[in-house]
Amino acid sequence: MAAPDVKHAIGLREIPGGFTAIPICFQKTSRSHHYLYVKEHKVRTEVHTTRPLDRTLLVLNVPPYCDEACLKRILSPCGHICSIEMRDKPGPVEKDDSEQSKFFKAPQPQGFSVAYVVFRKASGVAAAKKLHPKKPVVLSTDDHPIKTGIKKWISEYRDSLINTEELQAEVDAFMQEYDKKEAEEKQRAEAEDGVPDEEGWIKVTRHGKRPVMPRTQAASQKILAREKKKRAKKELLNFYAWQHRETKREHIAELRKKFEEDKQRIALMRAQRKFRPY
Amino acid sequence: MSCEYFPDLLYISKKNWSQIEELLKEVILSEEKRKKIDLFVQEVTTLLSSVPETKFTEIADQSWLPPGIKVPLLQIPFTVKGRFRMAPPRSLNVVGSYPLGTCTKPDVNVDLAVTMPPEILQEKDYLNQRFHRKRALYLCGLAHHLLCRPVISSMHFTFLHGDYIRPILLIRSADKDLHSVTLRLYVCIPADFFKPSRFHICRNNIRSAWFQGWENATQEISEPPTPHYNNGILREALIEAHLTFLNAALADFPGSKEGIMLLKIWLRQRKLDQGFGGFTGFHVSMLVAYLISRNQISPVMSSYQVFRSVLHFLAITDMTVNGITLATDPNSLGPTLSEFHSAFQVVFIDPSGFANVFADMTTNQYKQVQHEAQLSMQVWDNPNFDGFHALFMTTKTLVRSFDHVFHISCMSRLQRACNKMKLFSDIMDHNGNYVAAALPYILSILQRGLGERISLLIPVLPQTQEWSIYTDPPQHKDMGLLSFGMLLNTEHSTNILEKGPAADSVQATEFRRFWGNKAELRRFQDGSLCEAVIWDGDSLFEKRLITEKIVKHLLQLHADIPESSVNYVGGLLDRILQVGRKPCRTGEEESLKITHAFDDLNRKLWNLEGLPLTITSVQAAHSSLRHTQVFPPLPMNPDLSFFQKEKLDNSLLPLEEKPCPAYIPALQVICHMEGSGKWPQNKEAIRRIKSAFHIRLAQLLRQQYGLICRTAVNALDVYKDGFVFRVQVAYHRESHFLKEGLTSDGMVHYCNAKEKEALKLKLETVHMPLLTSVLNGLQQQHSTFGTTARLAKRWIGAHLLDACLMSDEAVELLVASLFLHPAPFNTPNSPQVGFIRFLLLLSSFDWKNNPLIVNFNGEFSAAEYTEVKNYFVSTRSNLPAMFIATPQDKKNSVWTRESPSVQILQRLIMLASESLLVLERQLSAPCSFQDMKVVFRSPLDIYDVLIHLNPKRVPRQAQAIDVPTVTFSRGALFSEAVGTKAFMPIVEFDPVSIFLKELRDAFGELALFFCDPNGGLIIAVLWKPQAFSKQTFRASHMNARLVEIGSNGAQTVPNVEAILEDFEILGAGLVEKLEIQTEKWSI
Repeated sequence: MAAPDVKHAIGLREIPGGFTAIPICFQKTSRSHHYLYVKEHKVRTEVHTTRPLDRTLLVLNVPPYCDEACLKRILSPCGHICSIEMRDKPGPVEKDDSEQSKFFKAPQPQGFSVAYVVFRKASGVAAAKKLHPKKPVVLSTDDHPIKTGIKKWISEYRDSLINTEELQAEVDAFMQEYDKKEAEEKQRAEAEDGVPDEEGWIKVTRHGKRPVMPRTQAASQKILAREKKKRAKKELLNFYAWQHRETKREHIAELRKKFEEDKQRIALMRAQRKFRPY
Repeated sequence: MSCEYFPDLLYISKKNWSQIEELLKEVILSEEKRKKIDLFVQEVTTLLSSVPETKFTEIADQSWLPPGIKVPLLQIPFTVKGRFRMAPPRSLNVVGSYPLGTCTKPDVNVDLAVTMPPEILQEKDYLNQRFHRKRALYLCGLAHHLLCRPVISSMHFTFLHGDYIRPILLIRSADKDLHSVTLRLYVCIPADFFKPSRFHICRNNIRSAWFQGWENATQEISEPPTPHYNNGILREALIEAHLTFLNAALADFPGSKEGIMLLKIWLRQRKLDQGFGGFTGFHVSMLVAYLISRNQISPVMSSYQVFRSVLHFLAITDMTVNGITLATDPNSLGPTLSEFHSAFQVVFIDPSGFANVFADMTTNQYKQVQHEAQLSMQVWDNPNFDGFHALFMTTKTLVRSFDHVFHISCMSRLQRACNKMKLFSDIMDHNGNYVAAALPYILSILQRGLGERISLLIPVLPQTQEWSIYTDPPQHKDMGLLSFGMLLNTEHSTNILEKGPAADSVQATEFRRFWGNKAELRRFQDGSLCEAVIWDGDSLFEKRLITEKIVKHLLQLHADIPESSVNYVGGLLDRILQVGRKPCRTGEEESLKITHAFDDLNRKLWNLEGLPLTITSVQAAHSSLRHTQVFPPLPMNPDLSFFQKEKLDNSLLPLEEKPCPAYIPALQVICHMEGSGKWPQNKEAIRRIKSAFHIRLAQLLRQQYGLICRTAVNALDVYKDGFVFRVQVAYHRESHFLKEGLTSDGMVHYCNAKEKEALKLKLETVHMPLLTSVLNGLQQQHSTFGTTARLAKRWIGAHLLDACLMSDEAVELLVASLFLHPAPFNTPNSPQVGFIRFLLLLSSFDWKNNPLIVNFNGEFSAAEYTEVKNYFVSTRSNLPAMFIATPQDKKNSVWTRESPSVQILQRLIMLASESLLVLERQLSAPCSFQDMKVVFRSPLDIYDVLIHLNPKRVPRQAQAIDVPTVTFSRGALFSEAVGTKAFMPIVEFDPVSIFLKELRDAFGELALFFCDPNGGLIIAVLWKPQAFSKQTFRASHMNARLVEIGSNGAQTVPNVEAILEDFEILGAGLVEKLEIQTEKWSI
């Protein structure tokens, strides 16, 4: 295992699941290399527009220092790349409701990640799968050096300094849009209020004239709890003699159980020599 | 009858009952063993009754002694009149705890009293130690007779209770089952040989002429009384009488015997029964007998009730002032109570009316017993506390219990001290034992000098070791260490002023005499002119050492004990917290400065005009603002030439080629805004609004107060008085909206997927400020809390555990529990003892079976205690390894949910018990004082890979345990003068922690990463045990792995070579080299 290349060369095409390995290394002088495992993206159930089945390449084991730009550079010889999606682990597309924003982005995946690369043509995927470079692909070249370590952290610190005006402008824009949406929704709701649909049902909304209960889980739980309490109040406890007897018996059983538990605990402690003072 | 006095005395829970029963089972001797012991005693007794007779010789002529056997007594002066010969003993009786049935395992002592035959005694043997000499010789004779008997495996001499005049012979059986049994041979006088009145405490029985070795003394000088000597002889004569008395007294009281055993365990756990003047089992039995005679113990009482009655009696009775007596005969010729008080410090008169049971005890020793009794009563009365464990199962060693401790190492110095204090007659009374003679005087001087600064001062005399019968007895100077422990009174202990009497008063000269050259005349603000002593101390660190200065000064002045012989253990650990620049500070002053800056910012925020919503609260949420930051930041100005200037927002940037800039933490401040209908009901919109608030706040702070501010998306940094505060706006309903989602039928519900995010927000904006304010409150009550917590955190950091592996807040809560629930100890009043107790808690607490309940402000009621405990027991498997409940957080243990893991907790426990062992040994043996940092250095041999970091890039390098030899200029000006403050310094920039995070993100599945956050230059890597097992190929588990084709198909293994290189790539510039310690992966 100390010399992975030899063994690996033999098994190059036998990786289960139809993956192909592409060796990559960080720079020319690197002593060792990682492997990218690539395969066409294939799922039975879900078809999503951002990952067209025939044109998407799934890339596993992308090292932390290999970012989108870098991946693009490696794979662009196979064909034109439309988009790259980096993820923590393989899985279905998550709805990305935050629009592209400079300041309010979803956090980037950290550490090793997987990538979904969409080519313009299906041939790109096939080409990528046939990529068997003799030497490992170098990620950080003289033309495109990758920043890691101190350099990267300093530039990250620089990036964390933001332009206040831009931020303010973006916030304002977002809030205007948001207010507009809210207002529209309110208007629509108010328009619907009190107007029966074709079957005669009237929809109750929170923008109506009379205040209504919010439709939340918490509220419904509260109502249920209140109902239960009401019912419990009506119930008669220890009314019949047998009820009385039963409660008494249960109480004693409870006490006995407790005593047994205590005894067990003590036995356990004794077993652990918890009572030897010194 | 006493039950009427203490109604709760009858109450004891079932659980406690069974615990006590179990405890007693552990210490009571079994019947079988008793039979074996009886047999052994029988054999020895038969042997002893056949001691052959010898001829009379002078005492001083010891040529008849069997060769090799040395007399177990210091015979000074050697010559003494009288004749001696060996003869069979008059009687042999088993006395002490064994026949009473109160002796306890594991160290069983069976006392065999050998009464000397009267025919070898002479009429005047009471004089000048003659009896003692004869006894020692008699012991030698007996030892010789017993030599080479098959039933006996070994024989040693020792001094009973460290009393140099009472040698005894220790005999151990050859039977393996009796290896823990010691037969103690004790030679005594026939009870009726001397008249008791001869030993009246006012009489003299040692002639100074003989003792001083004067040849032709004049008979005219008045001889001083020798009460201790007299009491000693009486004690020997009364041994059997006392046994008969106790047997009679305890006969009808079955509970009392077990009660005595409980008391003996209690005493032993507190080390009260050890050394000269200790509170032994005999004293306990006598005390119980006394209480029986006073009807305070009734026959129906159980063992626990007897135990409690005795503690109660001790707690309320001061025998140093009001002695008690067992003597019933009103016509006795014995001395009066006041005569006893003038001769002894503690008085408890025995049934004969002549002897004092507590003759050897000093006032301070008695006060300690009393103090412990009071403390234990309090513990037991607290229904929420596991009193059993505190009372009987916890060992209270000297360094664990006392705030400050000091040792006098050179015992021969005490002889000079006696000369200086003119204690000739006392030395004579104590048969030349100058330690025992000097002790009361030293104690009274210290007690007076320390006055209000301490609440208790106790001496600890060493246990005398046993020695072989072929070697000479140890000298007084070989006694070992004389140790003292102090409980401080924090209100006064750090006073720099000792105000004396007015200059013209009579007491002024006495004051000057007492304080020597330290006393000076001072004019006070009210115009009075007084004698006073001023100790210098600028910082709290120095002030904590004032007691040390007083002790050393007084010992030097009055007892001629030089400073070099006094090893004071008080502030040795504090030095860990010192940072380079100011050698005599440990950070308390800095913390205060930060608090002031925060208070000012707080006021300014409240007074801001022009905010659309009002601020409802401004809360601190950083450890620096609750006095628990290991190294609180110092106010700093950036040295502009050191940085790259960024015009945008007036910020500075680090330069790559320069050393990493000094680390400035951002001090979190949570600023809650009022709730209003204007807040949007959508999490994205709330984030935007919060950003808008940050921008607005920055603008206003800049305009109205001229502060330098920098806005980030989710916070606002304010640079003020050299510190950087990170203000975060919070809206109390945000966490609700974070969790919210819509069900398919349109109902709003909380989705669990977002739970984590919401919880994190809640932790930051709700729990953290709460914790900060609660701990700040604790700091106000106990000023040592902060420093103790910092020491504890420093220790955890030094063992390469950073906040990701062991949460800082959990450590703070652990330390807080030491202050809130100190039982069976006192509240720690010095960082050192607090730290030791922290180690003790960590190593001895049963985390698996018990929740740690930290009851801030006593908010938990007894019912809530049970509720938490029951909850814990029923849901143990779902709870974190370390469960801490506080009134603010009953069931979630928010601070330990992420860390520590079971493995890390296990390691912590191991580290703590090892450190405790080493530290206690170091602190109680002054020869190893030089290096207190031993317990702060972590062994590195268990790790697989060490990543060495470049010190230039480690901003907190100077905080390392061992001060680095090479330091770097890091662009910080510490001058507090207002410089050009136009630029925001670099905040929260620590390459080491960023690197650690990257490593954990990338390789967290394969390895654990350890690093000391305070200046650690090594990141230690430990592969997880299962990391190198081969796995089948799975698309979701391919990170940093490679495929290997073997006989059983394709399998994946970690790509170690590449991973190791990744360490270097990810930390380019920071990593100096890798050191590979094991080759675990090449199986």
